[in-house]
Amino acid sequence: MSSTVQKVLAGVTLAAGLVGFTSTAQAAACDTDKKIDIAEMSWPSAAALAHIHAKILGDGFGCDVEVVAGDTVPTSSSMLAKGKPALAPELWTGSIVDIWSKAESEGKVASLGAAISDGAVEGWWIPKYVADANPGLKSADDLANFAELFADPEDSSKGRFYSCPPGWACEITNANLFKAHGLEETFNLFSPGSGGNLDAAINRAFVKKDPIAFYYWGPTSLMGKYDMVKLEMPAHDPEIFACNGSADCANPGKTDWPTPPVIKGVAAWLPAEAPVVSDYISKAALTNVEVSGLLSWGSENKASAEETAENFLKTQEAVWADWVPADVADKVKASLN
Amino acid sequence: MFPEIFETRPIRLWLDNGLEWIVIHWGDQFEAAAMPLLWLLNSIEAGLLAIPWWLIIAFFTGLAYLATRRWPLPTVVLVSLIFLGVMELWEDAIKTMALMIAATITAIVVSLPIGIAMARSEILRRVVTPILDLMQTMPSFVYLIPTVMIFGPGKIPALLATIIYAAPPLVRLTDLGIRQVASNVLEAAQAFGASPRQRLFGVQIPLALPTILAGINQTTMMALAMVVIASMIGAGGLGYQVLQGIGRLEVSRGILAGLGIVVLAIIFDRITQAFGKQLQAQIGVTGERS
Repeated sequence: MSSTVQKVLAGVTLAAGLVGFTSTAQAAACDTDKKIDIAEMSWPSAAALAHIHAKILGDGFGCDVEVVAGDTVPTSSSMLAKGKPALAPELWTGSIVDIWSKAESEGKVASLGAAISDGAVEGWWIPKYVADANPGLKSADDLANFAELFADPEDSSKGRFYSCPPGWACEITNANLFKAHGLEETFNLFSPGSGGNLDAAINRAFVKKDPIAFYYWGPTSLMGKYDMVKLEMPAHDPEIFACNGSADCANPGKTDWPTPPVIKGVAAWLPAEAPVVSDYISKAALTNVEVSGLLSWGSENKASAEETAENFLKTQEAVWADWVPADVADKVKASLN
Repeated sequence: MFPEIFETRPIRLWLDNGLEWIVIHWGDQFEAAAMPLLWLLNSIEAGLLAIPWWLIIAFFTGLAYLATRRWPLPTVVLVSLIFLGVMELWEDAIKTMALMIAATITAIVVSLPIGIAMARSEILRRVVTPILDLMQTMPSFVYLIPTVMIFGPGKIPALLATIIYAAPPLVRLTDLGIRQVASNVLEAAQAFGASPRQRLFGVQIPLALPTILAGINQTTMMALAMVVIASMIGAGGLGYQVLQGIGRLEVSRGILAGLGIVVLAIIFDRITQAFGKQLQAQIGVTGERS
């Protein structure tokens, strides 16, 4: 894992070096004619970030931008194969470590720093009201004793644990952790089939104050909205974790997620050809709290990702004004009115 | 841009809070009410999984022969089912088949009475037709998530979504089939002193059977078309394999499971169609004049 971090850092410094060299010579305008397609991932924080970037790059820098739909695996695969989309504003590389670091070392893609500046969280959770009512349930190891509490409505002899939808890397990690904690005897590993279904299931449980044990991550609007408690797991061990991430892992072990690497992934041509744009991208990062605030506003006001992005740009100028030169900030502000 | 006449956000808030209210106050009741459906689906699935594979293959091949009295269709059925087994898709195919059969049975139970009532009442037809249009055109994800919120994730919402999508053609074709029965045949039945009930069960329904069977055929096909979407809310089977294939970029898994769905569609489509033709031929000889 440390080698990946080094590579990421190397990529950042390299990009920063390039930027430092050229940005003095050029005005703050878009320095590429190519269309910058920005991947809007299927979850809200990434979608809002995509629209923030699209607004600033499009209206501020005057770039030709397009927001395209994406998801972790398809977006990263297409980025390293075709250089499209050019930017994934919130890419969770933990799930695609192998292909991403390989593509990075081959110079097909690059990382422009962390998307969430103070890191994200990922793990197994239970609602706070369940944790309060069951003091004996603190860690993932304890879960096996609480199968009855989380009874599967379709098979009442076992408990139900909500895993990830197919295609998310956490699906495999969860399956291996599930085995490692010996939950196969007492629990069913329930695949929700889609992110929407996982959210709906969690929402339903919290609304009804039902017990539920599930995988989740943050920053997310759901995490901001409801009080949840993380089930403890042994500290992160890169080797065990790497094995858990593989479908063929012979001996799955117990280990927590690392602070997930969430980066701004770009196709390699972007830092190479457009240093001004890349400089902006590498500066643009939000904290966990800022993203959660953004998402809470969005979900309370039933706003689309685009409206959420616009609201952020209107109300949080202090946060984003540092990312861009003053004239670009003025253009962005002008476009909002 | 269309001018903003009033703030729409309160309406959306009201809808969302309304759903939340239903979930809190009626969620358990709805879940309990749907239990018979779950029981039906689970027993079909368990039953089919308990039958040895060769017996299922023999059954469908025999059924195909009975339906056509010729050998091409049974051969296709035999090869298709063996394909499913060889490709390790047997269990998934059975789960998908169970979902489809449970949806079809429920659709028949619900749709036949509605279709018959529609054929007898102009007012009812005017009320029900737009509802059927809505059921068929509303994108399924729109009602998937609320059904998950109300019934809990898993097989129940998957089955309900499949029924909503697959039932309308059966209602429409039942209605059509009964209305199509020639008026002179009905007059003749009346002349022989048949009561309305006797006319319905002795004349109209038997003569409408080929059309109703075409409706059942449509329902099975549309139920199969829903399996991938159904697995997005927690139904297993071939649809889930397709979803995994897409999600993990395993094209091979997606293609094989997709072919598995096609195979099931071919088997059920051809067998029900062949029975329909047989029935039509019989009725053509014994009753219908045109």
